[in-house]
Amino acid sequence: MKFIKFTFALLSCAIITSCSTDDDNSSENLTGQTGNVVIKFDNGVGDQDFVFGTSYNKSNEESFKLNNLKYIISNIRFKDNEGNTFLYPIEKNVFIVSEDEGNNAGEILLTLEDVNAANYTEVTFGIGIDQERFSKGADGQGDFLAKAQDAGMMWSWASGYKFIRFDGAFSTNTITDEGLNLHMGSVGTSLDNYKETTLSLPNSILVRADKNPEIHIKADIMKVFDGVESVNFADGYDQVHVDAVETPIIATNVAAMFSVHHVHND
Amino acid sequence: MIGLQNFNFRLLAGFIFSLTIQLMYGHEVKPPCESHVYKPLSPLCDLCGCSTGSGSFGFGTLGNSNFVGLRYINQNFESRDGIFINSPKSKEVFNTYQLWAQIPVNNSINITVNLPYQNLTRKRVNANTETLRGLGDASAIGWYKVNFYKKESDALTFNTERQPSGHVLQFGLGVKLPTGKFEEALADNVNPGFQVGTGSVDGVFSLGYNYGTNKFGLNTLMTYYVKGENRNDYQFGNQFSYSANFFTAISKANYNIMPFVGISGDMYNKIRQFGETIADTDGNIINTTVGSELAIEKFIFGLNYTLPLSQNIFGGNVTSKNRFSLYVNYAL
Repeated sequence: MKFIKFTFALLSCAIITSCSTDDDNSSENLTGQTGNVVIKFDNGVGDQDFVFGTSYNKSNEESFKLNNLKYIISNIRFKDNEGNTFLYPIEKNVFIVSEDEGNNAGEILLTLEDVNAANYTEVTFGIGIDQERFSKGADGQGDFLAKAQDAGMMWSWASGYKFIRFDGAFSTNTITDEGLNLHMGSVGTSLDNYKETTLSLPNSILVRADKNPEIHIKADIMKVFDGVESVNFADGYDQVHVDAVETPIIATNVAAMFSVHHVHND
Repeated sequence: MIGLQNFNFRLLAGFIFSLTIQLMYGHEVKPPCESHVYKPLSPLCDLCGCSTGSGSFGFGTLGNSNFVGLRYINQNFESRDGIFINSPKSKEVFNTYQLWAQIPVNNSINITVNLPYQNLTRKRVNANTETLRGLGDASAIGWYKVNFYKKESDALTFNTERQPSGHVLQFGLGVKLPTGKFEEALADNVNPGFQVGTGSVDGVFSLGYNYGTNKFGLNTLMTYYVKGENRNDYQFGNQFSYSANFFTAISKANYNIMPFVGISGDMYNKIRQFGETIADTDGNIINTTVGSELAIEKFIFGLNYTLPLSQNIFGGNVTSKNRFSLYVNYAL
């Protein structure tokens, strides 16, 4: 009998505790509210953190090590849980992700300010510069032109931007430490290598005035060589610049090297 | 809201079912020593700093006497500070100082209370050491004890004094309060347990079975924690803790020594934030503990050392290294 009483006591307590203070946020009015979003780019090779000067083995008994690793990210936009898209203002929406500007953990942070408050579930961005931005001419590039020149991410204006830049050395089973240079971009207007990638987020990010959500993106550098298509240094992919066959393959591989590891809502 | 209640009912039903099974098949429990509760990283505060009041740490003493006392717990963790295998490791040291007590209400009922003070540090490679100090989450559990007695053999005994059989069942029902401060910014850490409190009101449901003679004893305990959501829409995963300790009693003229060995474990569900489940925030750990108590007159001195036997916490991003605990209690 006592046990039955006890069970009832337990039951009633459970009912009490299960009444959580669930103040539903669905009626929250977000109109006019904005917040920041941090996108963290983290370069790695498989499950290893990328480190300059470290030799990484790829397919076909080839290996590579780098002393320079940069790429251009542009046209970042977010899709919310209602299907609306927020495009970050175009004039500010172009960044250079440079491994040598990483923090202690090798993470490169891009901060997007004044993003419309919403619950976003998807991010899209481009790798490189699209033809529309390029067509605005040198004067239409704003500060970014000088930034790209300083970072070594341009050929001449006529040839345009280098979308990715890898410099280092490669080895095969017959060659040791020969120069490796991938300077892939569009070639003026004749060859368009701008690509976009869309990644769904494992958890929504809540953009609000009082929050600082963060998207942690992992870039698997190995996929530049062993990605959608595998390429060999021995076949000419040790020097990739403006070749009409090689650059689209590298551009496709680069666009597929990104994944969202996790997000934070703090 | 309704969904949540249904969910809790299911949990409750499961809990009561397991209680019933325990009653049918045996005598289980009352284990004073619970192992420690781990919660996962970014979201798992219960796991670490704020979980030190939990079942796997133990709510009481081996002999199950009433007391007031002080307990110190030192826990060490290693967390991956990044998303890669070769990311730097940070070291976390959690020091907990607890005022704890077991207070009798009557022959069948007593209450255990626990008021922790937390001092947590996190050492990162090439970065400042972070320190977090403050009052932790207080908890109180009411225990209802069922003593079993020897069968009155041979019908002719008129002795009304029944002989205790040494088997004791114990039910606990309690609450953990958000007296420790939950800092939302810290929830981003690889180790979500780096918090002095969960910020939530949690329900605690326990079932214990103890058996003891003059020479040895066995204390077992199972505890289920129903975690509430805190003000930051953050909710640690529900947790199941279990422990079993076997002790012997060595009686001397002026003192008793009670060495013990035990096994304990914690299982955590995933953390939820803003109504979504966060990946890699669940966990499972099994520990082994050795220790001893020394009773001199009214004082009980205890010490124990705990090592994990197997673990997978926060997607493997957090590793529990060891735990050391010291206490001194005054018997009531």
